[in-house]
Parts: sequence; structure tokens; C-alpha cells
Amino acid sequence: MWAILSGIEGNLAAYEAVLADIKRQRVTVEELYILGDLVAAKPESEKVIKRIQNPLSGELQPQVCVGWWEEQCFALHGLGSLAEPTELIARYGKQTAKLLWDSVSRETVQWLRGLHFGFFELDCLLIHGSSVSVSDELTPQTPPWQMLDRLQRVQANSLFCGRSGQVFECQLQSASIATSVVTLDNKQPVQTVTTLQKRVVGVGNVGREAGKATYTLYNPKSARLDFKTVFYGCQKGFGS
Amino acid sequence: MKIAVMSCIHGNYEALNEVLIDIDRHSAEKIYCVGDLVGYGPYPNEVVKLIRSLDIPTAQGCWDEDIVEGLNACECSYPSLLAEKRGKLAHEWTNKEVHPEVRQYLAQLPHTLKENNLCFVHGSPNSNHEYLLPEMDAFAALERVLASNADVLFCGHTHIPYVRTLDSAQLQVKVHQPQNKEERSISFNAPLKRIINVGSVGEPRHGRPNATYVVYDTETEEVILREVEYDYKKTCQAIIDRGLPPIFAWRLARGLEFAEKADDPTHVCER
Ligand SMILES: [Zn+2]
Repeated sequence: MWAILSGIEGNLAAYEAVLADIKRQRVTVEELYILGDLVAAKPESEKVIKRIQNPLSGELQPQVCVGWWEEQCFALHGLGSLAEPTELIARYGKQTAKLLWDSVSRETVQWLRGLHFGFFELDCLLIHGSSVSVSDELTPQTPPWQMLDRLQRVQANSLFCGRSGQVFECQLQSASIATSVVTLDNKQPVQTVTTLQKRVVGVGNVGREAGKATYTLYNPKSARLDFKTVFYGCQKGFGS
Repeated sequence: MKIAVMSCIHGNYEALNEVLIDIDRHSAEKIYCVGDLVGYGPYPNEVVKLIRSLDIPTAQGCWDEDIVEGLNACECSYPSLLAEKRGKLAHEWTNKEVHPEVRQYLAQLPHTLKENNLCFVHGSPNSNHEYLLPEMDAFAALERVLASNADVLFCGHTHIPYVRTLDSAQLQVKVHQPQNKEERSISFNAPLKRIINVGSVGEPRHGRPNATYVVYDTETEEVILREVEYDYKKTCQAIIDRGLPPIFAWRLARGLEFAEKADDPTHVCER
């Protein structure tokens, strides 16, 4: 079983609650994926990083890829593909940019720089946004053709993502299309193209909403999904 | 109404002239251009001047953008290292050559032109560096047309013309969200869509030196891929005389860009 989470966003209590929940599962979790947004403009971001870097004995070493907030850190430190943190400032303002700067040390940013963009395991792409970019936000409302495109780009059958923070599964079934190409020298007959069943999974968000974390368990053998909700802190006792 | 659509003139004045005459013969009422007015060829200023004097609506090509913004696109713009090296030489030459008002004109060109159910882009709706190759995954191709909000997507950039028909697209989607007990099932259908790659006026790569462009009838929806002979030797000579790398004359005379293919044509540079 894989545990897939995203969006801790500098919320240590939320991360601890999810780790505890993973330990409580009857099935053994063999892989722990964190699909980015470990940090945010939150003072506890450093503590979250330390916790991820140093799992307790008996805990899994998380497999971590970059998210949107990490990308903003790179921009702030002049290390990313973006020259300026324009997206960060446009969305959250200068104040937040300053807070992010104060919350994540240069040393941590260097460590984040070494993370993967995503993981390709079996026929699954695990990534923060999509095969297009870290900012690409897939939701149940995303046009299905767009989702199919994100899958086809990397020839994956399942795409697990965390950008939206939502928990969802979109199954794309029985896609078909008739296509033909005419060139100056050639007229190709009409071909009908179909795809296997594919899906996009929103794995939830650990730290954004205080007191409530969501994440996803996935069995790669049976392809079964199990969406988990964990209540913690002030709302303790309401577990699902 | 008949329209003519062209792309990738690349400073080839001779070819543009001959194509304009051919467009006249086909009595197209309006001409559109999907960019790459400059680069590779010997007459960037003259080509821009002619396009402007005819008031031809033009979308910005990757070369037009690079001349304005400097070559800051990554190596992914080129199909290979060799192509990149040659491209850089051409870029430097063109960059020195273009007049300030030409640069200004290229800078203000829009990424996309839209006319009713027709959309005009250089590469793709995502980026003027993305190649829409004819063998691209059909669903991905459909997504590009749908993203453009049109029925017909005109593009260039590959320098080889084609018409791709995408029809009877169907897709069944089942959405499951834990907060909703019920699964939602939705069917999607897309009506007939087309991608029309208009080839290249000034730097063809379909295996012959002739200029290519497209005539489209908005009423009958008929597409004619046009191949126009012109005095390419004149352009080849000018390439050499004006000090551009002779390899550009060599390949113009053959209508080839060797056998180079992009590793990942859908890769969009984010730099
Ligand atoms: Zn071109």
C-alpha cells in the first residue's frame, strides 16, 4: 500500500496526525509519497522539513517532490526557472513573500532544490500539479480532455496530484476519436484511436485546513483507492 | 469567404512575393499570417515592411519573439544541438540586421488571432514554441483545438503543411468525491475539429524548395494546401551574399531540415 499526501504547508501538527493515522492502518504502508508544498509562509515550515528529513525509527523515509510553495522559494532565492516570485506576489501579496522568506532558510531551500519534480512508478505519475507544471491545478471541474492530455503527455494511466487540495477521483473511460491526416503527398485513411481507462486522483491536503487533514491510500496491485480524513487537535475525537 | 493563411516567411522576400501572387489568383479575400516573419533568410526588414503595407493580421512566431526578447528560450526550441548552433548564428545575424521599427512591430504582435470559429497561432495555443506534429497523440491534438475555443486551429512552426481531422471524439467520465455519496457519470462529445498546419512560405521542409501556404473557404470548409514554385536560387544567393551561414542556402534549395526531430515536441519552455 502507498500513502500519498500533499500540502503539509508548514503545519507540523497536521503532518504528525497523518503519520499517526498511517501507523494505525491495518495494512502495511510500504511507500510514503509527499507531493510537494511541504512548506508555506508559516513559521513552522522549518520544523516540518526537519521532521521529513529525519523520520523516527520504524517510520518510512518519505519520497518527496517539489510543489508550488517550493517553487516560490526558488523564485525568492533566485534559484528557479522564474526570475521573480511574480505568481506568489500576485496571489498572496508582498507580506506573504516576506513571511515565506523568513520561514524557510537558504539551507532548506538548497535541500528542496534537490527534490524530484515528480515520480513515475508503475503506470502512475505522482506530481504536485501535472505533467505541464507545478501550478497546473486539476480539479473535478477540469475539462476531461485536458486531464487526458496531462496523462497522455507522459503515457501514464493514473495521475496523482495535490495542487487543488481536493480529494477526488476522475475516471476517464472509453475515450475514442476518429482522426486522419492529409499532407501534400499523402492522404492517410481515417483511424479510430481509443485509450485504456485512465484516472486523475486528487490526493487531498494535509495542512491547509486547521484540525482536518486529508490524504490517500493506494494499493498498486488492486488499483484500489482509499481516501482518508484525519481530525486532530481541537477537534480530536472525531476521527473517521 | 476564401481566406489565405501563411506562416514562417523567415525573411524570404522572393517566396513571399510569389505566394502573394498565387493568393491573388485564388481570389482569397483576406490573408492571415501565423508568424516567423524573420530569421534564417536574408530580407527580414523587407518582409516585415511588405506584411505591414498589406495590413496582414499576424500572430507572433517564436523567431519574432526571440528577436524582441533575446534568445532566452532554452535549447528545447530547437530539435537538436546542431540546429541550435545554426539557429543561434541566424539569430545573431537577424538581431543585428533588423531596424528598430521592425523590432517594435514584432514586439506588439499578439500570441493568438481569433476570427469567429477560427483560431490562428504560430506553434500551439500553449506556446509559440510547441510543435503540433501530425503524428501527435489524437487526444492531445484535440485538447489543443478545444483550448483555442475554435473549430479550426491554424498553426505553422513545423514548416510542413498538413490537415488533421479530429472527429466523433467521445469520453465517459466518472467522478467520485468522498463528500458526495453518489458517483457522477458524465459523457463528453466533441464535434468535428481540425488542425490546419499551413507549412512555410520561406523555409519549407516538405522535401521540395517550393513555398507552401493554405487557402480555406469559410463557407464550404474546403482546405487547399498550396505549393508554389518561385526562384529559390535568388534567395539562396542572397543568403550567401549577405553573409548568412551557407547551410541555410543548401537546405532551402532542398526543402529539408535534415532528419532532425525534437525529443519532446510538446515540451514547453518555461524559461
Ligand atoms: Zn518557422
